[in-house]
Amino acid sequence: MTLDHSLKLHKKPNLYHPSLLVGWSKDVGALGAGVIDFVNASLKTEQIGEVEAKGFFSLSGVAIEEDVIQFPQSNFYCSEERNLIIFKSDPPVLEQYRFLNSTLDAAKYFKAKEIYTIGGIVSLRAHTAPRRISGVVNKEKLKSMLAEYDGLEVNIDYRTPPGERPTLSSFLLWMAKMRNIPTVNLWGEVPFYLGNAFDARAGEHVLDFLNRRLSLNMDLTPLREESEEQSGMIGKLRGQSPEVGKCIEMLERGIMLQPEESERLRREVMKILSQRRPPEWS
Amino acid sequence: MGVIFESEPELEEPYLVAAWPGIGNVGIIAVDTLREAVEARQFAEIEPWDLFYPHAVSIKGGKLQDLTFPSSRFYFQRVGGKDVIFFIGEEQPPSEERMYQMANLVLDVGLRFGCRRVFTAGAAVALIHHTFRPKVWAVPNTERLIDEIREYSHATLMSDIQGEGKGNITGLNGLLLGAARKRGLPGICLLGEVPIYLSSFPLSYPKASRSVLETLTQSWGIQADLRGLDSFIQEVERNIDELYQKIPSLVKDKIDQLKQVSHISPEEKEPITEEDKEKLMEDIEQFFGRKGKD
Repeated sequence: MTLDHSLKLHKKPNLYHPSLLVGWSKDVGALGAGVIDFVNASLKTEQIGEVEAKGFFSLSGVAIEEDVIQFPQSNFYCSEERNLIIFKSDPPVLEQYRFLNSTLDAAKYFKAKEIYTIGGIVSLRAHTAPRRISGVVNKEKLKSMLAEYDGLEVNIDYRTPPGERPTLSSFLLWMAKMRNIPTVNLWGEVPFYLGNAFDARAGEHVLDFLNRRLSLNMDLTPLREESEEQSGMIGKLRGQSPEVGKCIEMLERGIMLQPEESERLRREVMKILSQRRPPEWS
Repeated sequence: MGVIFESEPELEEPYLVAAWPGIGNVGIIAVDTLREAVEARQFAEIEPWDLFYPHAVSIKGGKLQDLTFPSSRFYFQRVGGKDVIFFIGEEQPPSEERMYQMANLVLDVGLRFGCRRVFTAGAAVALIHHTFRPKVWAVPNTERLIDEIREYSHATLMSDIQGEGKGNITGLNGLLLGAARKRGLPGICLLGEVPIYLSSFPLSYPKASRSVLETLTQSWGIQADLRGLDSFIQEVERNIDELYQKIPSLVKDKIDQLKQVSHISPEEKEPITEEDKEKLMEDIEQFFGRKGKD
């Protein structure tokens, strides 16, 4: 097959119809990137290729984040032992169709049997509530497969609200359908006030599913510790700030917050979580 | 990327008229109103997926149902003895390269059917008051059409407004005609005037669309029932009047100076200066900025 010139594969690993995991670096609760980072670290994957940035990202300059110059990254990784390909990327800002086609070219090249995208969705529930994950498929047979897994919602109805646009993962799901590649969008709920911080508890649920589905045998203990530390920090803040405590309690009772209350809660929680050191695997 | 044809109508040297959303949605309202009035039939569509990011995803019972994209459709009808291809684009592509590709795809379809002339429609941001009937700035892509444009009532050439006849047309309204010029196809861009102080609002301005349609139908020598547009114009006028009543009198006084501008020839001094214009826009932005924070 002819590959798009943007797709650069440095190595052809020894794989047999692997699964492909896809995660985007900008995501609700940093879920996609967080899960991918954990898998990469746990399975000690090796980078095997990339999609070149030119044509998909603005290269008229570079962004600086937390004092450091950034550059768009779109990398493929591989674990031969677990028969797994991983794609972690910044979401392209231009030519998304061609970019996603390059990603699917790679899936075809490796003869991937299934693709799983990982993403977060905003939840209005409290962080103390159990996280829910849901799966959206592009083939009926995948739905019955997903239904076998406890704790995975497989019957959601959704239509993009006016003024919003579909996610890149939904676009990929549709394109994969056009190319006859079975694909699942996995969505983990993330409490809105966790913002861009990695929601370890949502990540744990997604990784537990991937462990079972793809027989990855990853030890999720570090993630559970991370999740407990995160909960502990928010719990401490709750004790120190009556306003934060009141807001979380309202959410726990299913009461909607006013926009300004939501914003204050988000700000306070983000402030405290930003003091946390990054987990070892990130 | 390509064009999907549902049918191959037999057309005789058709005109092609194209519109996309833009300021006041002037062009798209004009062309779509005419398309509906003459009951034009769809015959082709540009494949959208590599030109646009999708509009919406639809999921039912956990399974992907559909992904919808902005549409870019061609219609045809015989109007007053003249075959016309209508092109309605729901969105303009996000990059210059893709816009140029779209311009050429639209022209490919026109030329495939023997198109002889292209029209685009859009908005001209002008120093006019909203109580005035908007004029139409007509910009051809060949000198040969200048004399014809001079015959249009209520339309004006750029040189009648800005002396040297210089300016620029942003987006596909201009690009399509530039690409048409390159390919030897004559065309005219019709720009309906939108008051400068309304141009930055997400507001349709159908009064300018009506002016564009009057010029277009005159150019084609046809009559069209535009009464449906009139009720829309009245509705928008009422909304603008309500907005206008809320503007502080100082700002309103500035805007009302524009009532003195009925027609400016290049030799005449404008009733408000550039400095006045800047101050006017500042006052309006400040007013509406404050309103937004209330």
